[in-house]
Amino acid sequence: MPDERKAVDFERTFLPCMDAAYNLARWLVHDTQDAEDVVQEAYLRAFRFAATFRGGDPRAWILAIVRNTAFTWLKRNRGSDPPTEFDEKVHGAIEEHGLEADTVRKADNAMIRAALDELADEFREVIVMRDIEGLSYKEIADAADLPIGTVMSRLARARGKLARSLQQRIAKER
Amino acid sequence: MDCDETRVLLHGHLDGELDLATDLEVQRHIEQCPRCVTEYESLRAIRTRLKDEDLRFEARAELRERIRREIAASPQTRSATKRSIGYQAQRAPWVQSAIRFAVPMAIGAMLALIIAPRTMRRSFDQQIADEVVASHVRSLMVGHLMDVASTDQHTVKPWFNGKLDFSPSVNDFAKDGFPLVGGRLDYIDGRAVAALVYRHGKHIINVFMWPSAGTGMSTQSVGTERGYNAEQLTVGGMNCWVVSDLNQRELESFAGLLRSKG
Repeated sequence: MPDERKAVDFERTFLPCMDAAYNLARWLVHDTQDAEDVVQEAYLRAFRFAATFRGGDPRAWILAIVRNTAFTWLKRNRGSDPPTEFDEKVHGAIEEHGLEADTVRKADNAMIRAALDELADEFREVIVMRDIEGLSYKEIADAADLPIGTVMSRLARARGKLARSLQQRIAKER
Repeated sequence: MDCDETRVLLHGHLDGELDLATDLEVQRHIEQCPRCVTEYESLRAIRTRLKDEDLRFEARAELRERIRREIAASPQTRSATKRSIGYQAQRAPWVQSAIRFAVPMAIGAMLALIIAPRTMRRSFDQQIADEVVASHVRSLMVGHLMDVASTDQHTVKPWFNGKLDFSPSVNDFAKDGFPLVGGRLDYIDGRAVAALVYRHGKHIINVFMWPSAGTGMSTQSVGTERGYNAEQLTVGGMNCWVVSDLNQRELESFAGLLRSKG
């Protein structure tokens, strides 16, 4: 029963990554039900293509599929374009935000969620993968199909934007 | 290095993803640039908030079950099962085939329940043992033994600040014949860990350290791996892996010193 063993192997390798998969999907599509559909579809696709998994980090591999599934889903259901054409150079220098560490401490959970939610997909996903999921740059590069050198500059930009957004939110609260 | 260059590199520094030379340059720049130090501190604060605020969504158990069922029912899995049942049925009466099929399956399932957690545990440790030994070998090979070279525990310990999300316990055992020679960042089991480097005679000992999920103390000799000895112990909430080409006995006496500080 080689195919049944295949299912068992697959589950053993990839089911432990399901929280990571769901977390990324949830942050990308913003909705519980939709995120579950995306994860389910991604896992079935992953199972079909499990033979192409050549070892390495299963989490980065499954996240790459989740991410593609999520962007396809977003395009189909909300007509948004996947952020593949993003060019670091065109988008210029990293914004200064002038946010101070003490001010950051004033931001509450809802503020941070809202600021993160409003970031563009390509920025939100790197923060989710790095700061919430704890992936290394190499794993992010694999999952998001980016050159490894781009991961750091993308993160720099993303965190800069997040800081600015937090800054504005905190100023409004006062 | 100027502020524009540093602006992006600050993130690699924060994430512990830079090579040693660049990392030190960034560190030096931050120390003397008030603008960059403000920026760095705020980035650190943001990262801490992102970590602490419980922003991670967890999958519901139902989703896990749903996906399991879907995989079991997917054409790839199902067609194989049907084929093998059909084949059995041609050769034997229905009951017999059912028994032939069901009994070994039930026994297999029971065994799997009993054995799987142990083998998984074992292979999990084995996987980490492979990683730490590979890391030890690499550290000796590429001239990247240390990111911070110092025999002073008060230099080595603060060096890890801001590079790791925990503070490793650093002790010098020079008077017992195991002087501390330095430390570096390493990457084991999918996370950044502290690697402390000790020397005994001409032998190098790497101690990999990261917070332990469990509590209490445990020691486990993982044994020999490609000619290196590895030992795992939990000390003061830290999961420690000790790797060296020292013999088992000397390695154990070194592990005893670590444990005495727990």
